[in-house]
Amino acid sequence: MKLLWALAALLLSSWRADATTGPTIITEPTEVSNQTSSILSCNLTDSSLPIKGSYWTHNGKHIEESESDASSPYTIYRLDKITYHSGGLYECVFKTEPPVKETIEVKTLPHVGAYKHSEHGNEMDKGVLTCVAHGHPLPTDWVWFKEEDGTHKGIFNGTGDRYEIKSTPNKTILSINDLSIEKDIGNYICTGTNELGASSDKIYLRVRSRLAALWPFLGIVAEVIILVTIIFIYEKRRKPDEVIDDDDSGSAPLKSNSTTNHKDKNVRQRNSN
Amino acid sequence: MFYWLRCSNSPDSTVDRPQRDMPKPGDRSGGAGGPDGGWGWVLVAAMFISTSLVFGLMRSLGIFFVEFVHVFDESAQAISWISSIGLAAQQFFSPLGAALCNAYNTRLVVMVGGLLSGLGLILASQATCLVHLYLTMGVISGFGWALVFTPMVATVMANFTRWRALALGLGFSSIGLSSFAFNPLFQLLVETYAWRGALLILGALSLNIVACGALIRPECQPKARAKEDSGSGSPSRSNVLQRAASHLELPLLCERPYLTYTLAVTLFNFGYFVPYFHLVAHSRQAGFSEYQAAFVMSAAGATDILGRVASGWFSDLGHFRLVHLLTLWTVSAGAFIMLLPVSSLSGSYAALVAISLLYGFGSGALTSLVFAVVPMIMGVERVMGGLGLLQLIESSAGLLGTPLSGWLRDVTGNYVASFLVAGSFLLLGSLTLATLPHYCSCTDPPPPPPPQRRSSQGSHQDPFPPTRTTERRDGRRGEVQAAGRQREF
Repeated sequence: MKLLWALAALLLSSWRADATTGPTIITEPTEVSNQTSSILSCNLTDSSLPIKGSYWTHNGKHIEESESDASSPYTIYRLDKITYHSGGLYECVFKTEPPVKETIEVKTLPHVGAYKHSEHGNEMDKGVLTCVAHGHPLPTDWVWFKEEDGTHKGIFNGTGDRYEIKSTPNKTILSINDLSIEKDIGNYICTGTNELGASSDKIYLRVRSRLAALWPFLGIVAEVIILVTIIFIYEKRRKPDEVIDDDDSGSAPLKSNSTTNHKDKNVRQRNSN
Repeated sequence: MFYWLRCSNSPDSTVDRPQRDMPKPGDRSGGAGGPDGGWGWVLVAAMFISTSLVFGLMRSLGIFFVEFVHVFDESAQAISWISSIGLAAQQFFSPLGAALCNAYNTRLVVMVGGLLSGLGLILASQATCLVHLYLTMGVISGFGWALVFTPMVATVMANFTRWRALALGLGFSSIGLSSFAFNPLFQLLVETYAWRGALLILGALSLNIVACGALIRPECQPKARAKEDSGSGSPSRSNVLQRAASHLELPLLCERPYLTYTLAVTLFNFGYFVPYFHLVAHSRQAGFSEYQAAFVMSAAGATDILGRVASGWFSDLGHFRLVHLLTLWTVSAGAFIMLLPVSSLSGSYAALVAISLLYGFGSGALTSLVFAVVPMIMGVERVMGGLGLLQLIESSAGLLGTPLSGWLRDVTGNYVASFLVAGSFLLLGSLTLATLPHYCSCTDPPPPPPPQRRSSQGSHQDPFPPTRTTERRDGRRGEVQAAGRQREF
């Protein structure tokens, strides 16, 4: 008999516990997909716990403006313009003991952008083109194209032995070995696709000739040679002037016309090395 | 008609030709230490360009290091060894460069140095591994730089007496200016031509040092006393060693004033470079943004340039002895370094900028004077070898000072201790300066005579010749007379 009572008490308490630890949140809508704006709402039901307030988080980050101290079990968050920035996982959190939360997924088209829209590569070196993606969900599929005569030619890992594609959900890298000026200059298009659609960006690849720097180099070397020649010629031509001008100078000419020591003028003549 | 471009160093040029109706500018000093003006300023321009191509280039190589890390797949520390090797080679081979100038032709040595530094960079453009870069950009270019820097500085020093510090200040200001200009320029070169092409072009730019060297006319070269063409014809080993020792000016190491001064400069070097390396990091640590920290550094650099020129000009006015002014600037630079952490820890950005500006001015001011004082210690004619040895000895401090401050930072967790120690090294160096002989007198003493005057060279052994009052100014440049008379032979 006592055992029966104990069992009944246990069942009652657990049933009551169930009742108090099982609040449910009804979200409206459950998922946002390819819309320009939306109003996310959460309705906390079946809860007798006191609600001290509520807030929203976006991808784990607390949204300051959504902070509210109202003890209402109903909270909304407006998304007036949905771009790839606003995509992600939104959570409404009610400040109860313990806090309860629910997630709403906002899906957008991915945003694909290139690191640099103009890339340089050296002839016969390796060229690297990179595209990154933002948004939610991240692209599952990446494709590269090369623009040739108005058509898009697909590049895959098997296309020739010079191309190499490494892709992760948020980044894709196209490496081209042994760049050549005729074949590899041009526009490259990277396309990222997720469940909602695709988005792409364009990169222009420039291949520098190995000898491009040679011309400035030769130019500067020529300038140096000319300068040195001018300096030496000027100095040689100055010497006869100087010897005529005043012949008691103490300077030591490189090629001395007057080898006399000028002892009578009491001037020391320095030996030139 | 081109007399003013002449670099006549005849000491008797004014005494024996009083009838000359058009006095040359700079004749006041009698030309013994340097005629001050005319071709001398052309040499200052040459020094400006060559120093910028040596040190300005060295300081801006950081742009390439980013590329090297990428291309050679090495750590940043391994890459930074390139510039350490370059700097070490430049300082280590300085005495050798000086000795070669003493033995041969300064012009030839500087031109060869320019060729080598350009060659090193050109070869570096074809490098396929990091060791190639160490050898080409490090050793070859470093050796070339050593053959350029010391001779150019000594030449300018030998060509000026009255305006020596100003000339040196103008020449050294190129380092700061070119660091400003080269950073964006190198960035542009690397973007347009890739690092190989950029290095090739830099090598060609370095060849301009050859043109600067060509400007050193034979009569403008710093003439050490004529070395013995020994009567004993055969170059025996001891003969060669003796000649080498005299070219390197090794006997200088036995002279107390020189040793004292070298010790002082070495102590300066321990602390001098610390702010360059750590100021930005310290500012960031104190809570300022990247741009604020970078601006602090740029501001210090700007006042550095200003300080070099201003202190050169001011000290040449002759109101104070160079040694006293040098002490003033080193004490102020040391004090401001020690105040740097205080100002940033107090959280005030304005205070940090103010102290950095003052520090920059002080450190620039001391740089031009450190070299200008050298001829006072040993006489103009030994300045070449003396500079070379000084560079070598002070390089050790430069190499040790920065790791020491880095270690202090690692141990204490912030830069306060590093800056305090750096500042105290500068103050210690100033104290050492005060132990120079005749420090407290108001006029410069003549430098000690070089040892072993060969009697066959003439009878003028007197290091204290009678003053030529027509050209002397209160005996401030008195030591030049002694050097001048000795240079006659």
